[in-house]
Amino acid sequence: MAMRKSRRGPRGAAERVEGLLVMLPWLISRKRVKLSDMAKQFKLSEKELMNDLMMAAMCGVPPYTPDALIDVFVDEGEVFAEVPLMFSRPLQLNSAELFALQAMGSAALSMPGADKKGPLASALKKLQPLLPKGDAVVEVDVKAVKFLVEAQHAVSAGQFVAIDYFSPISGSHSSRTIFPRAVFEQMGHWYVRADDDQSGDIRNFRIDRIQKFTPTGKTADPKIEGIEAEVDFFGTDMETATLMVRPAALRLVETYPYISREPQSDGSVKIEMAVGSELWLGRLLLRGGDAIDVLEPAKWVDLGVHTAQAVLKRYS
Amino acid sequence: MINLLALLVQRTKPMTLKQIRQDLVGQYPESDTAARAAFERDKGDLRALGIPIELITLGGDQAGEGAYRVDRKSFELGDLGLTDEERAALQLAMATVRVGASHGDEALWKLGGERALNAQSTSLNIQLDDELMTTLADGVVEHRTLTFSYKGETRNVDPYGLLARAGFWYLVGYDHLRTDRRTFRIDRIDGEISVGDRRSFNRPKDFDLQKAVPTEAELLAEGHGEDAVATVLVDASLASGVRTQFGKQSVVKEHADGGVEFAIPCANLTAFRVWLFAMVDHATVVGPPRVRKQVVTWLTEQAGGR
Repeated sequence: MAMRKSRRGPRGAAERVEGLLVMLPWLISRKRVKLSDMAKQFKLSEKELMNDLMMAAMCGVPPYTPDALIDVFVDEGEVFAEVPLMFSRPLQLNSAELFALQAMGSAALSMPGADKKGPLASALKKLQPLLPKGDAVVEVDVKAVKFLVEAQHAVSAGQFVAIDYFSPISGSHSSRTIFPRAVFEQMGHWYVRADDDQSGDIRNFRIDRIQKFTPTGKTADPKIEGIEAEVDFFGTDMETATLMVRPAALRLVETYPYISREPQSDGSVKIEMAVGSELWLGRLLLRGGDAIDVLEPAKWVDLGVHTAQAVLKRYS
Repeated sequence: MINLLALLVQRTKPMTLKQIRQDLVGQYPESDTAARAAFERDKGDLRALGIPIELITLGGDQAGEGAYRVDRKSFELGDLGLTDEERAALQLAMATVRVGASHGDEALWKLGGERALNAQSTSLNIQLDDELMTTLADGVVEHRTLTFSYKGETRNVDPYGLLARAGFWYLVGYDHLRTDRRTFRIDRIDGEISVGDRRSFNRPKDFDLQKAVPTEAELLAEGHGEDAVATVLVDASLASGVRTQFGKQSVVKEHADGGVEFAIPCANLTAFRVWLFAMVDHATVVGPPRVRKQVVTWLTEQAGGR
């Protein structure tokens, strides 16, 4: 029931009506809103919103006298609405909307530092009766990691932070000063996105690999950067490998993003994936054991063997 | 369509199509057939929006004739008594937790809130697209059996719940093919999911969604290995992550160089090995001797080439 379901082209009549039935109660509860703000809120252009509001203004019940029409109008860039006989109450929440609220609530409440008895918890409690038999149908597990709360604080406070960081891609430790811009979770891991003094670039650091996190005392205006979608960790220049993965290792390999997946008749799957580093691939091959073979490139065919030899040295 | 809805909401008595056409002059075509088709289309669109149009069979002078009505209570959201503070908390949480799709924004608008337009310092991605979320939500919220293809087999599943963990969504439910409870990773479902009738099953009262999908620590403990726990020495660089995963109670000994010995479940040796080797050469099994020997034997086989 998006305000704009179709990404391109004009919206259909049903889509516009659907939008109006959401927008009108929202508008009526506010009575007066800037046209530009409302358009932005509902992801419409001002022209689209104007057209929708004009359509609403012509709707009502016979005899279509002014008092029987929906009372909405635009004047000097502001939208006004009076309480009409109908459409003052929002539509009921559908299953997907209830689901989204519950998922969001479960996730937000399980984040470190969440107030489990605060206004979010009480809001979700008030929504609970809308679910059949009060079922908790969706839950989100959020992993707690050390320095997460500190990283969140550093973003909002504009703190420069000295960190000790371990990179499994290079197998090395580094000390650097970062200026955090955002904290985000992706694929089950928390990252801090920050200006990095060592590379002179903006980098994403996995928070559970930060060994030390010490504010330097220096601050600047926060540069909060919203992470709108999934961050693409795989640049176009990253090397790829083609693996033959037998069923015993599928669960393991398929936890990572892949480029292509081609099931074989014996239950194996041929998987092409981006490879962050030789160390990373070696680790995957070691974990998968003889259930993974590297098909391409040739230079990595024996990488699993070499990795096992390196680990074996720790036991000798 | 809005006029039709306004009319049916405002009139207290059910209206026949003839009466509707008389009142909504010019809205429907003159031909009876075309008018019926246009009316049915509007009716279908309104129903798709969650606005049920009731068909009543009239009696008396109009005996047998169909008439329509809409009860606003059937589609309007009642007052939930949300405070401004609670609405703001929902708004902030929705901005932080990206559930994907647009359903979250739409829910917020219906609750009188607003989509946050400024950048948030923290975001959590548990995304599902619009269509998939609608289908799965219909299944779990309305207790509809789902049918889909999974690992080459057609599965009919009574969905009990959905869990997002470590970057993946899992569907937990009763699998009619296996006649048992099963867990399915959503991104591994092939093709379309079809949705059955409402109320086609009851969720067991003792169902616990969190416990239905084992954590990695639980997986390590679920096995028939001769030893239940292994002592693993983890280098300082990775020790804090292991401590977070298994808790302080798992720490056996802290070394001067920052390395830490942990007591880790290992009854499921395969899962244990996969967990252990994620740390490559930054972790070593210290004991018991039998587990250490098994790890060394396995490494030796791998190091010998395939």
